[in-house]
Amino acid sequence: MKARRFLYVGGMGLLLLLVLLIDVIRKSVDLDLGGIEYLREALIIGVFVLLFVLLESAGVMKEQSPVKRMGLALIASVVMVIIAFGGSVMLESAFDPKSSMLLPLGYGPLFMATLLNIVFGCFAVAVLRLLRDLALYKRKRGSQRNILIFAGLTLATAAATLPLKPLETEVYVSVLYGLAVVAAIVNSFRLSWIVYLTKREKLFGLVYGFFLFGIFIGLNILIQSVSVSRALLYYSYPLKEFVSLVCVFGNVYFGMAFVSTLFHLPTAEAFDRKTTELSSLHNLSKLVTQAFDFKELIDTVTSMTLQVCEAKGCWLELIHTGEEARGENLLQKDLVIRNGKDGGYLVQIAGMKNISQDEIDALLPVGERTLRDSVLEERIPIVIDDIQKEPRLRKSGRATLPEGSLVVVPLNSHKDVIGILYATKDTEHGFFKDDVDVISAFADQATIAIENSRLFNKSLERERLIREMMLAQEMQRKLLPQKLPQLLYGDLSASSTPAFEVGGDYYDIAQLDEHRLGIIVGDVSGKGVSAAFYMSEVKGIFQALSRLHRSPKAFIVKANEALLGSFDKRSFISVIYAILDTDSGKVLMVRAGHCPPLLVSRHKGSYVRPKGMGIGLGLGDVFSSSIEEEAIQLHKGDVLVLYTDGVTEARCGDEEFGYERLMESVLQAREQPAIEIKEHVLGAVKAFTEQQASHDDLTLVILKWRGNSNGQQVEVS
Amino acid sequence: MSEFKIGVRETEGIHVLELKGYLDAHTAPKLEEAFTNLLTSNRYRIVVNCKDLSYISSAGLGVFMAYIEDVRKNQGDIKLSNMSPKVYNVFDLLGFPLLYEIFKEEREALRKFVDKTK
Repeated sequence: MKARRFLYVGGMGLLLLLVLLIDVIRKSVDLDLGGIEYLREALIIGVFVLLFVLLESAGVMKEQSPVKRMGLALIASVVMVIIAFGGSVMLESAFDPKSSMLLPLGYGPLFMATLLNIVFGCFAVAVLRLLRDLALYKRKRGSQRNILIFAGLTLATAAATLPLKPLETEVYVSVLYGLAVVAAIVNSFRLSWIVYLTKREKLFGLVYGFFLFGIFIGLNILIQSVSVSRALLYYSYPLKEFVSLVCVFGNVYFGMAFVSTLFHLPTAEAFDRKTTELSSLHNLSKLVTQAFDFKELIDTVTSMTLQVCEAKGCWLELIHTGEEARGENLLQKDLVIRNGKDGGYLVQIAGMKNISQDEIDALLPVGERTLRDSVLEERIPIVIDDIQKEPRLRKSGRATLPEGSLVVVPLNSHKDVIGILYATKDTEHGFFKDDVDVISAFADQATIAIENSRLFNKSLERERLIREMMLAQEMQRKLLPQKLPQLLYGDLSASSTPAFEVGGDYYDIAQLDEHRLGIIVGDVSGKGVSAAFYMSEVKGIFQALSRLHRSPKAFIVKANEALLGSFDKRSFISVIYAILDTDSGKVLMVRAGHCPPLLVSRHKGSYVRPKGMGIGLGLGDVFSSSIEEEAIQLHKGDVLVLYTDGVTEARCGDEEFGYERLMESVLQAREQPAIEIKEHVLGAVKAFTEQQASHDDLTLVILKWRGNSNGQQVEVS
Repeated sequence: MSEFKIGVRETEGIHVLELKGYLDAHTAPKLEEAFTNLLTSNRYRIVVNCKDLSYISSAGLGVFMAYIEDVRKNQGDIKLSNMSPKVYNVFDLLGFPLLYEIFKEEREALRKFVDKTK
């Protein structure tokens, strides 16, 4: 990139040197060199084309604001005028008017004229670029075309002078020149960039435009003056036409710019305000999407309100009602809290700008019915044109009321007012409709942001709870046996699924001694977390007591005693506790209020239902006298099914899975090993409930008795 | 999901709660409210008519346990009646017949209260 620029500059220098060489020769020989003239003009044109291409490709000044570029143009044109004036003085009658080529009278003027032409040419190229960029600002369909027409006409004028000697004129050149001037005037109406300037920029633009206009008049006069025009004409007729037309264009354009800026000045402020409003709303809405920094958001809302409405003071209150009003969930603890008149809400001043707590309290006295209550009820903005004369404010005579006006805007969320935005001004009648509109717009954005931030915090909390529940679920799963014991003469299979993350179902198996196995299935009343706590307690008691008591009844009575203390009145546990003799297949069981176990023997199923009330329902004797033990002898091929009511009460519409279906499904699979029977029953329950999620914890323990292969058992029918 | 309704009426100083629909963890608070209302106005003689009760869960059963102690302490009682076989089975499985008097007909329960006061 840099190398290319060097190439351009080098090329330009080389071309200029060539031109200079030709000039020196021409001067010393004093001859009309004929065809060489065209080569010379071509070289000069080449120089400025290269300059234009260089400036364009480097994008010089492209990104600067129009006013800044005008300022630089002003400096450049001042320098240009000085140089041109200097030239006009020094080159006074320096050219030979008798020579058809208008040759200079010495080498000094030759060099000076060369220098002047180069400076003028560069200046014209730069000015043309600036004018083009200004005229094409916010371009419309025709603007590009108009600029091209002007450029085309300028080049055509320049080209038309190629065959002419310096002092000759032709009508068609003048016509083309005139047309180019018209095109320049047309282009000078393209001034849309002025509209988008800030007020400050417009002021600068006005000054720059004025001086540029003046200086360009001077330049044009100088260009037309005898000495300068001769210097230009001597060097290159086309270049002179080009420079002259660009300066005319500049003259007209900056004149128009000055007048236009002048007319735009009165509306500049309004335009500025609208732009600020738009950009603040835009910034705010960007801020809204990132609900993480609540404080920054409030800060932005208040400072924008100040800035856009030119308010004196501004503050934002958050209104907490209902549960929040108890103060636990307040976003920032260190903020000022005011109670509502009847204590129905809490007011939290979240952000203050240019106003003090005392001033706020003077306007909205603590413990009285204030504008705050009015706006909370009406839910529309309230404008107080004169604070001193407002009856709703004056009655609080104690504090001195400030002078000026006040606007109160509610932050309306879909169901209630979550906050209030206030702005004050020193002057009475300070807030007009558009002020209220823009403050309302800020309030709306703030509402969304506050809601977002609250939702975000809620969802964080929710996620935390979900994680906790997942942990709890994991813990509870570990409370269930990880591995079932292997039996010599039978096999076991079990599963338990909570309806929610955790549940109140429990099963466990303990090896009581060499040939006795304790099997327990329990169901804590209720579901979810509370049930899960009791369930873990039952686990502890089972593990502690089962090995101490040889009879199921003794165990269950002790378990009742142990658990009663920790239960609330409405909670209880239903339990099946069975002790299996793993050698003989003898089962001794108690049922404490639990669903009766299913025994499938051969082709018949029956529910074993010894008497007994649930754990936690009765004390001491009431409980123990209700418990009966029942003994069963398992035979080869028998299946004992322990389960919770999640199985029998699994529902499809109003119908329950029930005891019949349970028995049927076990009968169907009774030839299979325990795990297959379990899968079959679970499949049947699932098929029955179809797609409905299980509404209760569901536990199933299957004992399949294969019998003692030594034939110790006698099959009885 | 399922509806649950409670009707309250009074006969001879005895309050009858008529339960209708599904009594589970979601609807249990309604029954609790009904009991609380009776107990706060010192009504301790209560018959719960389960004629239209189609389902009761363990949470529903727990409600009866929550109030029986208070009621009996005040020389009252909660008696149950008119249960469908299915609902009775749930009560029976848990051993409620050992704790509560359960009658086939409401008037039997009422008579029991009246006989006792005589």
